[in-house]
This record gives sequence, C-alpha cells and structure tokens, in this order.
Amino acid sequence: MNVPSVDFLPLGAEGAYATKSKPGSAGDFAHWLDQEFTEVNDKLNQADDLVRKLTLGEVDNVHHVMIALDQARISFQLLTQVRNKLLEGYQEILRMSV
Amino acid sequence: MNYLSAFKISASGMTVEKARLDVTAMNLANVHSTRTADGRAFVPMQVISVAKQGAPFASYLSAASLHGAGAQVVGVRERNAAPRMVYEPGHPEADGKGFVAYPGVDPVGEMVNLISTMRAYEANVAALNAAKTMALKALELGGNT
Amino acid sequence: MLALSESDRITTALVMMALDAAALRHQAIANNLANVHSQDYRPQRLNFEEQLSALRHAVDTRGSITPTALAQVRPFIETGAMRAAGSLAEKMDMELVKLSQNAVHYQSLLKALDKRGTIFSLAVNEGRR
Repeated sequence: MNVPSVDFLPLGAEGAYATKSKPGSAGDFAHWLDQEFTEVNDKLNQADDLVRKLTLGEVDNVHHVMIALDQARISFQLLTQVRNKLLEGYQEILRMSV
Repeated sequence: MNYLSAFKISASGMTVEKARLDVTAMNLANVHSTRTADGRAFVPMQVISVAKQGAPFASYLSAASLHGAGAQVVGVRERNAAPRMVYEPGHPEADGKGFVAYPGVDPVGEMVNLISTMRAYEANVAALNAAKTMALKALELGGNT
Repeated sequence: MLALSESDRITTALVMMALDAAALRHQAIANNLANVHSQDYRPQRLNFEEQLSALRHAVDTRGSITPTALAQVRPFIETGAMRAAGSLAEKMDMELVKLSQNAVHYQSLLKALDKRGTIFSLAVNEGRR
C-alpha cells in the first residue's frame, strides 16, 4: 500500500518569513506591507484553489488542503493584527494635543 | 445529511437480516424434527425479501425521493427440499419400510446463510454508524457557537 | 483584499454541492447494503462523478467555473441493471469500501468549509473571531 508522506506544501512558507528583510525606513515598511498583502492574497487564493480541487476529487492528500487553509488563516490573522496596531498607533497620534 | 432516511434504510436492512437469522436458527433447531406440533412434517423455510420503494407520493415532492427506502420481508415460505430418509426400523415414526422422514435441512447451507446474514447485518450497522458520524460532524460546523 | 467575491461564492457553492452529493451517495450505498439478500434487486449509484468530469473538462483554473456551468451539475441517484448472480460477499465488501470512502470525503469537505468560514469571519470581525 502506498502511503504518501506528510510533506509540507511547496509554498516555500518557512523560507518566506525567514528571508524577509526587516523594514528600516518608512519606504521599506510600505514596501514590506505591500509584499505581505500580496502574499496573503496568494495564500488565500491557493487555499481556495485546493478546496475546489478537493471538491472535484483531484486531491490525493487531504492534509494539504487543511494545512493550506490553516496557513492562509494565520497569515491573514497576522496581517490583520499589523493593520490593527497601525490604526491604533495612528489614532493615538491623532489624540496627542499639539 | 438526510440522516432520518439513512437511518430508516439501514434499520430496514437490519430487520431483514434479523428475520433471516431467526428462520435459519429455526431450520437448524429442527434438523431432527420428524413433525411439528400440529402433526405435519417440518419443511425448512426461507425468507423472501425485496427492495422497498420510496413512498409514491414523495416522488411528487422532490426528484430525490425516487430512490429506494431500504428492504422489507415479503414472506417466509417453504423451501423445495425433499425429506431426508433415514433407515431406523425401531423408530415410532418409521414408515412401512422402516424409513423415517427427517426434514431436508441442509446444515452446511444454513451455516453459510448464517455467516452471510451476520456479515450483512454488520454491514448495515456500519452504514448506520457512518450516517450518524457524518450528521454529528455537520453539527460541528461553525465552531462552538 | 478579501471579500466575498464571485470566485469565493462559487467555491462555497461547489463545496455545498459536493456535500449534498456525498449525503445522497450515502443513501444509495445504505440502500445497497440493506438489500444484500433482496430478490431481483437493482443496485443504486450516484450520478455525480461523470457530471464533474464534464465540468472539469470545460474549465481549468480558478475563476473559470461560471455559475451557469455549476447550475448544470445536479447529483442524482440512478438504478443500475439487476444484480448478476455471483459472490454477494464481494459486492458487500465493495459497498463497504465505498461507504468508508464517502464518509471520509464528506467529513473532509465539512472541515474545509469550516476553515474557510473562519477566515471569512476573521475578515468581517477585523481579526477577532
């Protein structure tokens, strides 16, 4: 019986976060944020694609679909938290009396 | 997951197999019965079962109801088995030539039936459990809210 | 960035339809198992895989499945030819395999639907569940 191994998705997910350069100046940060948005969107699309494949019966390993969904969710959560913190900081600045 | 109809289907299957089990047990118990309580010779029986159709009016409600609704027993009838003649001159039931007519029960055949019936019964239980698991899993959608 | 786009809605519709199909398939299998010893029984099966194949050939990548194409796919139970005299045990085993397979497929679809729903609710609730 051929038991497929539990290998991680070829998303390069582990490498992606490790090699991301830390934001330095404001320009770098904006660039980084833009990158993050694109990446999260890609992850979400990929997860959705895998779900469709599962529905159509084209998936050999169900765990790939589950892992992709989890990764998409976590990346999205991270990005949302970043966005929330940014908003908080902005609102605090607004509250500062000149 | 239409668990109601799934349960009904599997339950009907279990009923049929239970009936087959009872009849097989009766046949085996009467291997050496020369006659029944009312004086007639015992003849081995068999269960006749057929598929149950979905309720006729249900087909007007939805196309999906045209599928089957399990199985049902339609009758228990005598097998076409000739009696087993055994030479026992001293037996009270012996005929003129000294032969006693025992029921034509085929023990091996009945045991095979028994095994087949049990497997089918277990298969229906497996189907019931699968339906239950699927229905319960569907309830878990959306987390704990 | 993340909205219930047309594509998302189609994926959800696909998963719902696959779930319906799996539930219906279970009924066909349960019926076949209940009628193992029935006389003149015609085994039932689900007509869905072939419709999916047609859908798959018509489209390939994400976003290409149109609502109209999806609406053409409707799972239904069909009755086959009368069961040939032969090994009942084998046929029962085949049905039991299908039973397990179908149950697992149904539950994976449920899980996938649930996880997608979590992501959407995160979007709606600004990161809170």
